[in-house]
Amino acid sequence: MNTVNAEWIKLRTLRSTWWTMGIAVLVALVLTALGAGAVISRWDPGQAPGQAAMGIVVAVYVGVILAQLPLGMLGVMTISGEHASGMIDTTHVATPAKSRVLLAKAVVLAGFAIIGSLFIAVPGYLYGRAVAAEFNPSALPADAWPVIGGGTLMIVVTTLLGLALGALLRNGAAAMAALMAIVLLLPFVARMLPWGDWANVLLPTYPALQLIEQVPDIMPTWVAFTVLGGWAVVPLIIAALVGRR
Amino acid sequence: MWKTPFGPIVERVIEVNGLTRRFKRTLAVDDLSFEVASGRVTGFLGPNGAGKTTTMRLILGLDRPTAGQATLGGRPYRSLRRPLTHVGALLDATAVHGGRRAEQHLRWLASSNGLSARRIGGLLELVGLGEAGGKRISGFSLGMKQRLGIAAALLGDPATLLLDEPVNGLDPEGIRWTRQLLRSLAAEGRTVLVSSHLMSEMALTADHLVVIGRGRLLADAPISELVRPGTSLEDVFMELVSEGAR
Repeated sequence: MNTVNAEWIKLRTLRSTWWTMGIAVLVALVLTALGAGAVISRWDPGQAPGQAAMGIVVAVYVGVILAQLPLGMLGVMTISGEHASGMIDTTHVATPAKSRVLLAKAVVLAGFAIIGSLFIAVPGYLYGRAVAAEFNPSALPADAWPVIGGGTLMIVVTTLLGLALGALLRNGAAAMAALMAIVLLLPFVARMLPWGDWANVLLPTYPALQLIEQVPDIMPTWVAFTVLGGWAVVPLIIAALVGRR
Repeated sequence: MWKTPFGPIVERVIEVNGLTRRFKRTLAVDDLSFEVASGRVTGFLGPNGAGKTTTMRLILGLDRPTAGQATLGGRPYRSLRRPLTHVGALLDATAVHGGRRAEQHLRWLASSNGLSARRIGGLLELVGLGEAGGKRISGFSLGMKQRLGIAAALLGDPATLLLDEPVNGLDPEGIRWTRQLLRSLAAEGRTVLVSSHLMSEMALTADHLVVIGRGRLLADAPISELVRPGTSLEDVFMELVSEGAR
């Protein structure tokens, strides 16, 4: 708990944290509002209240995952910044168990990413309901939860993957490049390959997009959640094991 | 524990035993053994690249030895719980994030070992940063960063202090202040190991010297024994280092 406290103080005492979070939330909110407005304007008048509520949730979570790169960058910088300044030594003198430091950073960042996603999702949802008032959207339908869970998980995964890559590569620019390659570049390349569907099942982006209903289903929902969650957990375990040496 | 003929009871606190660290082809630390006792300032001397910093990093568990071991009160550093309450260390005073305020830097450090933040204000006063505590570290001079590093080392009120070149970048007043602080900490019975390549400064600060060159032990003796009348520590040091190089 002490380590988590210390990491939370570290995160919140840097202005760059708030700039990153502020810009991420603001940009995502604007795009969510524009996106939701555009989607709703194309609905036919017969849209059922349940469908309307679902449509709003989907539009909102498309907006939420737009904040993933700034938050991934925050994950990278949380550790690569300490390697760059050398402050990581002070951290390890205070807390010799390196894996505990990494875990504490992960806990703090995951909480921060979830709260960030809510700062986008809640106002976005309320705005969507206001714009779609004429369709009388219902309360949250049951099939909205995988969308909410998937979108939230995607943003947490990108943040923690950033942390793991920062811990492994110790260099901010290299870690950021690796993060973009995994999240953006590889899925794009995979689409052009004959075995692309397989690569897509294994990479984090397709499962996330499937969960927020942006691509056709190619795997069961539980597989999508597992693969996505694995991209948060496995790289962190590898980073913890490599850090032991 | 044993009694010295004249002084107070001293205890061997830091024990370095056959410590060796190899980086690829170079031996940074070569079968080094020495002990550091409480109640006095032990100067850790050696030319640049002699292995002083590597030895300190090995004692602090930041690096793993190729052979041998270093213990504090009989235990390896990495096994200490809430280590800041046992050992205070200053390695590289510039290794801090400039975006934080001095007081915030000490706050996360205190929190990491479950220490109360109440001591922070007093410590900043003690090291002469009372006014600068609320300022961002990026605006600090090297001397101010050294003072902040000393405050960080004292945060857990530790019985042992390991300071790597703490007077680097300090002005004459700061050097004098550090010297007096180290001597008073030792007088309280604490164990103080302070590295330097400045012999004249060590002659004034230390009671005991551990001299290394090329990772090897060259001398481990009270300063009064090393510096005979009519010689300076500088002469002795040069002699030791040139002998060690042979």
